[in-house]
Amino acid sequence: MNTIIGMEVHCQLATKSKLFCGDSTTSKDAGPNINVCPTCLGFPGSKPKVNKRALDFGVMVALALNCKINANMFFSRKSYFYPDLSKNFQITQYEIPLAVSGYLEINNKKIRIRRVHIEEDPAKLNHVGGDITSAKYVLADYNRAGVPLLEIVTEPDFESPKEVREFLEKLSSILEHLEVYDSSWDAALRVDANISMEGSERIEIKNITGFRDTERALAHEVIRQRGILRMGMKIQRETRHFDAERRVTKSLRKKEFEEDYGYIFEPDLTKIEISKEWIEQLKKEMPELPDHRANRLVKEYGIDEYEAKVIIYTDKHLADFFEHSCKIYKNYKEVAKWMITYLLKSLNWHEISIRESKARPETFVELLEMIDKNVITERLAKEIIKDYIDTGKSPKQIVKEKGLEGFKSIDLDDVIKRVIDENTKAVSEYKSGREKALEYLIGKVLEKTKKAADPKKIREMILKSLQMI
Amino acid sequence: MIFIDSLVFQHVRNAREGNIDFDDFSQKVIEKSEKIQKKYLPFVTLVEKPVKPEKKGKLFYLPISVKDCICTEGIQSSAGSKILKGYVPPFDATSVRKVRDEGVFILGKTNQDEFGFGTFSINSGYDIPRNPLDPERSAGGSSGGAACLTAVADFPHVALAESTGGSISSPAAFTGTVGLTPTYGRVSRWGLIDYANSMDKIGVIGKCVNDVALIFSAISGHDPLDSTSLDIPDEDFTKNLNQPIKGMKAGVPKEYFEEGVDEKIKKIVWQGIKKLENLGVDIKEVSLPHTKYSVASYYIIAVCEASTNLSKYCGMRYGLHEPLDGNFDEYFSKVREDGFGEEAKRRIILGTYARMAGYRNAYYLKALKVRTKIIEDFKTAFKNVDVLLAPSMPVIAPKFKEIEKLEPIDHYMMDILTLGPNLAGIPMLSVPCGAVNGMPVGMHILADHLKEKNIFKIASSFEKVKK
Amino acid sequence: MTNEKSDYWKIDEKLIDHISKVSRLSLTEKEKEKYLKQLADILKTFKEIDEVDTENVEPSFHPLPLSNVWREDEVKKWKWDPLKNTEHKEEKCFKGPRIV
Ligand SMILES: [Mg+2]
Ligand SMILES: [Zn+2]
Repeated sequence: MNTIIGMEVHCQLATKSKLFCGDSTTSKDAGPNINVCPTCLGFPGSKPKVNKRALDFGVMVALALNCKINANMFFSRKSYFYPDLSKNFQITQYEIPLAVSGYLEINNKKIRIRRVHIEEDPAKLNHVGGDITSAKYVLADYNRAGVPLLEIVTEPDFESPKEVREFLEKLSSILEHLEVYDSSWDAALRVDANISMEGSERIEIKNITGFRDTERALAHEVIRQRGILRMGMKIQRETRHFDAERRVTKSLRKKEFEEDYGYIFEPDLTKIEISKEWIEQLKKEMPELPDHRANRLVKEYGIDEYEAKVIIYTDKHLADFFEHSCKIYKNYKEVAKWMITYLLKSLNWHEISIRESKARPETFVELLEMIDKNVITERLAKEIIKDYIDTGKSPKQIVKEKGLEGFKSIDLDDVIKRVIDENTKAVSEYKSGREKALEYLIGKVLEKTKKAADPKKIREMILKSLQMI
Repeated sequence: MIFIDSLVFQHVRNAREGNIDFDDFSQKVIEKSEKIQKKYLPFVTLVEKPVKPEKKGKLFYLPISVKDCICTEGIQSSAGSKILKGYVPPFDATSVRKVRDEGVFILGKTNQDEFGFGTFSINSGYDIPRNPLDPERSAGGSSGGAACLTAVADFPHVALAESTGGSISSPAAFTGTVGLTPTYGRVSRWGLIDYANSMDKIGVIGKCVNDVALIFSAISGHDPLDSTSLDIPDEDFTKNLNQPIKGMKAGVPKEYFEEGVDEKIKKIVWQGIKKLENLGVDIKEVSLPHTKYSVASYYIIAVCEASTNLSKYCGMRYGLHEPLDGNFDEYFSKVREDGFGEEAKRRIILGTYARMAGYRNAYYLKALKVRTKIIEDFKTAFKNVDVLLAPSMPVIAPKFKEIEKLEPIDHYMMDILTLGPNLAGIPMLSVPCGAVNGMPVGMHILADHLKEKNIFKIASSFEKVKK
Repeated sequence: MTNEKSDYWKIDEKLIDHISKVSRLSLTEKEKEKYLKQLADILKTFKEIDEVDTENVEPSFHPLPLSNVWREDEVKKWKWDPLKNTEHKEEKCFKGPRIV
């Protein structure tokens, strides 16, 4: 049973002002309905005027996604009634969007991109007295209404939720490299996904936030749909929504009534002509893109291609972190190894991004330096990294607070010597062939070193010492 | 300099010289307006105590009225619709701000067909304005209140009005006033409650051509708040008044004198054309071959745009509110059922239909292409002439009793002479030209895009000879 | 484009029901009947544009050709009370009807 997935990805563009009015796009802690004006609230008599920067951003992304850019583009009104739409139509693009026919490569596989267009974000709804299916009424906050969105529609080229996740991570990295997007925004990335098992009806999952949840929602859907088919039942076409808390998809409504969007051209806006000169100008301004950066990291820092790709495609900020660290710590390969093997794993385990964590290159590098100077063992460093991501305390401070300071691997000889002296019974037991006694001795050493030493190393050293007795 | 005169010019001159006490004058004007309101119902809202203007501008202490669909900060602006009852805009339309900056004060908001949907102002959510020349008859529409007040007021006054398909020419013709519909984009639409955005134009209705030129000079000009506002230099149109017109060329479109136009009206308008010929204007016949299709093209585009504009009225953020019962489908439907009048509903249905998947190519997109042909007709005609001359309306102001008998399509056909020019966004002015059965007849003077000055030249001379 | 209707000038009861749903207008049976009759007349006139040859004719979105009108990315704050015109409000939000 092959899985077929296609997506509509909505990314918020990080312009300063909204798409069609002068309100700020960042409303952190401002309270509801603060960054609103008659235009984004659809008050009678107000008119939209398009933000040039949002158009620039759109063109740059279209270029990065290898798309064909339309010489003329238009905005359209997509009509449907919903309490989060201040005008009961959304200004978006229909028959003549910004760009078409692109692709993005993940793991040597091309995911085709059908179209890229710019549109306005609706408001945020709070369902009071239940969830979307059971609430008594809604409260609408239009701070988000009118924030520019870039909608990227893919062909149904994905074969697994994991591929989707990789695509979204790489896309997000591209957008951040272009500086058109801020992944830390509340709902920066939202996905509508169509998923089907080959030969069956498709299900649409609407409005999933972030790539972690997208992967989860799709993974759940794969299991659910396969289960239905295995029981010999049919999948019915419907729209579902993802309950992020319970990590399941739920039926929203059966499609007994199809909205008819009745697109017309937005008569309050003009045609946009995207000239070759405009595109060339933007090409000149465009920052370095991930693929180029990956090549550069390999050349400049001598790390593996695989390492470079993981660092860059997972998150642009991870790559920034790497390069920043390399400025203050010269063993680049070690930086890459420690970032991928331990830092990234820890971040994933905590389900946070590098920016959300308290890790900083300056303090991260301390860890590597302490290993180099034999202040701590690698094993201890791995323990410290979890604490470090949680608390943001510098590794030096953590070592100090835990009383691990001053413990050096040379001191291990002393500790082992003392343990052997103090546990003559265990020593003789081992000598008479009881393997378990060795474990006991290792345990004692670990106890005394507050688990700061590497058990493998302890084992080796004890064995060495015992041979000499 | 040529001396320009009218009640409005005299009043402004007096006011600027300090000869007018604002409180005294404005109170008198309000009292008069109240009397007019009782008899002819031109207002939706009549201001109780007008705001005293601060700036001694070019329109100092001039009382103006504003069509209800043009937003006025602090004064209800409901576009003649019940669904916007109680809506008080938080901002002025650019045109309103501009005249306020020149020192006007606002008397009130004039009545209209709901959102501009009509030719007789009978589709208002409020009262129906009467024709001051015969209260049994319509004052025209949709700017019926504006024309009614302009015709009857015996004090200096000018009305800000609006036209999408003929809503200034119709009431101006029916009431014997002068109505200017400018080039699309010449007056900012910021603050105009939309009917059909690609055709909506704010204009002026006044007692004489001079007054219209004066106010139009004040409200026109580029506005960064409106994306469709034309970025061109400001002009003072009063400079075109009383200018020689000998040698100017006028075209008479033969399609505008065909069946459907009252024979008596044709005759009166031809007499007007002859008067201009006597003044040295070169008259020639021209053809606008796609005239017949302007009704379909106009109404399709208009209802498509209008039906999306009206979506926002749903009882959530402003205007009519009802108890929050039911889900959004039920609640929105209830509010819209109660708030919209019959014609609004008809246009919503038509518009939703004409842009639906499976239909939009045949209607909406086709109508946009036919508009191109209609614009080409005018562009071709204006290669050879400075203005076009035609009747403004095919009939004189009808009696309400007669209107009752008309089917919706008959109403739409009444606009046959104004729809083409409005679709093409060219400027036009209706000027009184004579009378049939004691009711005024309007002559249309049309010009190419941005050639309002040609209109003012012709109209200003015509006004003098017609008497 | 696909799915174009060939009988596009005809409007029947089923279609008007659908339209009233799409446009959130509840219509009474009487209204429906009246509109159906009037719409038939109007659509007959609309259909006349079929006669116009529009092959290779570009649509006019505005009466004058307009293009590339935009604003720069600058923040401008409105000082006002956005909730002043509504009765339905709570916690500085617009209160609206539930979804389902
Ligand atoms: Mg979208
Ligand atoms: Zn805004």
